[in-house]
Amino acid sequence: MDVISHFRQESRTYAALGFVAICVIVLPVVIDSIWVKVLTSAVIFTLAAYGISLLYSQLGLVNLSQVALIGVGGWIMLRLNYAVQLPFELNLLVSAVITAFIGMILALPAMRMKGLYLALITLMVAGGFQIIFSAIQFPNGGAGFLGVALQSPGEMRRPLIAESDTAYLRYSIIVVVLGVMLAAAHNRGRPGRAWAMIRKSEANAMAAGVNVTLYKLWCFTLSGFLAGVSGGLLAGALKILDAKSFPAGESILLFALSIVGGVGHWMGAVIAGFLYRVVPAIFNNIGIDADLSLVIFGAALLHAIMTAPNGIAGQLSSLFQSLGRQNK
Amino acid sequence: MIRISDLSVHFGGVVALDNITVDIKDDIVGVIGPNGAGKTTLVNVLSGFVLPDSGTVDVEGVDLLSLAPHKRARWGLARSFQKVQTADNLTVADNIWVSLDTSASPGMKKHAALNRVLDYVGLADMADVPAHKLNPCQRRMTELARCLVASPRIVLLDEPGGGLSEMEVDKLRQVIGNIKTIFGAQVLLIDHDVELIKSVCSKTMVLDFGELIAFGPTETVLQDENVKAAYLGTEIKV
Repeated sequence: MDVISHFRQESRTYAALGFVAICVIVLPVVIDSIWVKVLTSAVIFTLAAYGISLLYSQLGLVNLSQVALIGVGGWIMLRLNYAVQLPFELNLLVSAVITAFIGMILALPAMRMKGLYLALITLMVAGGFQIIFSAIQFPNGGAGFLGVALQSPGEMRRPLIAESDTAYLRYSIIVVVLGVMLAAAHNRGRPGRAWAMIRKSEANAMAAGVNVTLYKLWCFTLSGFLAGVSGGLLAGALKILDAKSFPAGESILLFALSIVGGVGHWMGAVIAGFLYRVVPAIFNNIGIDADLSLVIFGAALLHAIMTAPNGIAGQLSSLFQSLGRQNK
Repeated sequence: MIRISDLSVHFGGVVALDNITVDIKDDIVGVIGPNGAGKTTLVNVLSGFVLPDSGTVDVEGVDLLSLAPHKRARWGLARSFQKVQTADNLTVADNIWVSLDTSASPGMKKHAALNRVLDYVGLADMADVPAHKLNPCQRRMTELARCLVASPRIVLLDEPGGGLSEMEVDKLRQVIGNIKTIFGAQVLLIDHDVELIKSVCSKTMVLDFGELIAFGPTETVLQDENVKAAYLGTEIKV
């Protein structure tokens, strides 16, 4: 690797570390309790958005069921919380693994499809989960397998080291960073190479010995895993989940915002999470109808599709690069 | 040795390959023929992208047609495509690594294999360059390096010389000519460039409308009247 690209790589790593350090150390101190909750939610959705971004940037596949999978992760997390007295981390891991498995099963019929048809199938899956959640509700400590009671008799436990909202925000940031690092390690390694080859041409990938079906499933599974972690964290953050919070339309919105943020870059997922959760909260705060944010998101999506294929993250990245060149 | 017996492929009413039977023993064998003769179909059948209607392909006792395309690659069958296929967002080295990931034999020293093949195709100082910055010849060489890196048994090259300048074809000639000596693989080379075929292929097979109309030493085949007629047509005397 030549010196310039090595330097660029290093400066990118430092920028990411600096960003995370500010989020973990400074943010929870300077914002008040309502914004801690909003930011926690934004951080959690960042990870799910990174899952969408992974599938789209690596394989060009559209996944419109990510919010439904967050719901699945949340449901399993709540179910485990009331069923077993295991540590939060273990429950989170099990929820994520089961969600990943469900994501993989749902991806099986989609393996031979691309583009609009795949998007439609994933949207139908999201619609299916919307109905299932309305029918069975989320566990809140009641009796039976479904565990639903009229009034919650139990409580969703948080990690021992992160009982308070502020601590839970820090905790969520660290878990999300670990999740993004897991996906980034995939991108840089053997799966990332195979995905890039499949995206270029499936025939070429097969000719190079890549098992195309396996690697596509792998990507779906990893994306589902990230959604599962998000769902588990969300259950911990809100302590109770509402079946109305996971409609199919939300998955479309999160996908659209991932495109606006910029796929293929962790910053794009951060921007998506911010737009998805923080912008409507800011509007509410200053007395504007939060639904107005949808109009802005729509305009931003048009802008991204027409002029910024790498999203806001791509624009910021080229801005910094050109500033760097000017300073030389 | 590649033993092809009674191989036929139909696309609807079109006969793409018509009862091809041939034993290919030589190190580098050329496949020529006019457009639409069935050359690429032959490569697609061998690499698993087209299922034949009938026939068998046997290589060293292995029934090639029974394997899925990616398993053929892992077994040792590498191929390039007419339109060069490098993943633009990967570096040259990563493009080549894909084959090492899937097809390297156990115990193979992968980094050594990568450096050897990069040296061989002349891309040693470009390992970390993203593929979108390469010129067409460098892309072609990257693809060839990917085909060769995991020590394949058979390499199928589908018009590797297409779109290259004369100097670049000279370089390609050297690269293809030494594959057997350096990597031990048998090569099947499709190309329209008769000079390239003449200089590297000891034997050549000629296809026309899906039929094998000639197979033998390249010089002899190129002088064959049937072959000339297939390429140039026959004179009609009035």
